[in-house]
Amino acid sequence: MTHTTTRRAFGLALLCATLAAALPPLAGAAGKPGQAAHGERIPRLANGKPDFSGIWQTTSAADYDLEPHATRKDAPPSPGIVEGDAIPYLPKALEQRRKNFEARNSADPRLKCFTLGVPRGIYYPEPFQIFQRERDLTLLFQFGHSVRTIHTNGTDHPKVPNDWWLGDSRARWEGDTLVVDAKHFNDETWLDRAGNFHSDALHVVERWRYLDANTIEYKATLDDPQVYSRPWTLGVLLHRHREKNFQLVENYCYTLDYDPHYPPKP
Amino acid sequence: MTHENHSRPRRPTALAVGLLAILPVLAAAQQAAPRTPPTRGIFIEKSFPAIESGKWSGPRLADGQPDVQGHWSNTVGNHNNWTDPQGGIPGDPQTRNRKLGPRAERAPSRVSDPADGQVPFQPWAKAAQEDFLAHFFNPTEPKYIEPLARCAPGGVPKSFIWHGYEIRQFPGYVVFLFNSGTRVIHLDGKPHLPPAIKLWNADSRGHWEGNTLVVDVTNNNGKALFGRTGEFASENVHIEERYIFSPDGKRYNYVAKITDPTVYTRPWTATIPAVRYTAKDAPDGWHFETTLANHPKGEVIVERDERICVENNGGFGNVATGTPAR
Repeated sequence: MTHTTTRRAFGLALLCATLAAALPPLAGAAGKPGQAAHGERIPRLANGKPDFSGIWQTTSAADYDLEPHATRKDAPPSPGIVEGDAIPYLPKALEQRRKNFEARNSADPRLKCFTLGVPRGIYYPEPFQIFQRERDLTLLFQFGHSVRTIHTNGTDHPKVPNDWWLGDSRARWEGDTLVVDAKHFNDETWLDRAGNFHSDALHVVERWRYLDANTIEYKATLDDPQVYSRPWTLGVLLHRHREKNFQLVENYCYTLDYDPHYPPKP
Repeated sequence: MTHENHSRPRRPTALAVGLLAILPVLAAAQQAAPRTPPTRGIFIEKSFPAIESGKWSGPRLADGQPDVQGHWSNTVGNHNNWTDPQGGIPGDPQTRNRKLGPRAERAPSRVSDPADGQVPFQPWAKAAQEDFLAHFFNPTEPKYIEPLARCAPGGVPKSFIWHGYEIRQFPGYVVFLFNSGTRVIHLDGKPHLPPAIKLWNADSRGHWEGNTLVVDVTNNNGKALFGRTGEFASENVHIEERYIFSPDGKRYNYVAKITDPTVYTRPWTATIPAVRYTAKDAPDGWHFETTLANHPKGEVIVERDERICVENNGGFGNVATGTPAR
């Protein structure tokens, strides 16, 4: 792997700068050194933008329930990942969420191995991989092996949109923060296993930023006037998989019910 | 939940006639630039040139890889028939009365070795393949339903004959975004996954030799089958692929040596030709399913449509019963 830029434990900025100057240019994804939130070196593309290439995963229990909750039989406890704790549902939507929660062990689209959507794929408890070029980021999810492209080439949302499972993602850079505008979703994905949901009017603004070379701070602000009374924000940290030879293992779990029928046996 | 098909070809569409309803919608998104009208159909070529492995003189990426990024599709046919790519599915009730004409007038078998164009099956495996084909249009058991009809990944090698696909390259990787499934070729020399793990898209380790991407493929679950004619491998299959790109970067030949001592009497070779599609080509609903990006300065940028299958469908098993696609 070329982009596992080694985290350097030196605290002195001067020493870091000296090292940076002495290091040979790293092949591929890790380019010239730069500063993350805490003054550390982060991987960069040739154009100087942060390079998020790598395999990432949250350690949070976000997918079980975005909101704070004590332990229950189908979820470990978690302080939640919603700023302000509660998702600001409109009254009618709160009732729908209650129904979803009651039916969660059969109605969660994840149980059918459907594409998880945005932002759920990011904090689902399986690794996902980011491949990055100057023009875009390719997000490959282990679960369902769905592919999401975040465009960073100055393009806008399509003039003739569709309702996509993963929406349409157009991004720009604010300094070292990738700001993604994602919309044109369908209403078929959930936000977690607890029945939190959205409509096809969902609009997500994501902010991706390195805290250090192996940690991304991910925030997503969700707006949906059909479901929420105001925009609200969730956030998780994403940790780089650094295990030796780590790789995604495809998970097309929707095939499990029929795959024993193949191939023919002697 | 509603699972109606939306305006874009987000599911595998089995028959070309089914595409007619989709194309006018696509056309609305294409008005930004004049593009060559689609005239080629699924069967483009009856023959194709050999490409020699050798030096790469075309453009390279910053990490040194030959730049073969973009949109590609095979030129001879879909997965209806592995050994007679333009011969249709034997026993197809839709075409039973149509005369095919001499075999020599159609594209050659994808089996380029042995010379007879047939997969060198062991007797039990030949019987199993013929049994699958005999039941394809009347599947009385689940094993007779082609797995791609249930939105399973196309796997290796069928993905190369199932719609067009995009190649993206990154330092250490070549990534294939297929119509049904995604495949990552690792170029960094790490060992294969442990043999206990078997996958639809297998596990791929590759390197470049001049104009040729050489890929070693193991960990294949063997479940995807090769096509509607039922050719198959087992989970013991080992595939050695060579993607040989032409000097002008406009086409490549996929040449794969396929070894499986539990299914075949000898190793054999599959060859699949492919051509590149660019913004000059019009989307055709099969080989090239793209739109033009909305760029504020009018830059012409091709974008791939989202690929979703199981979420929108119960599969298209209706084809297996001979019902015309709508």
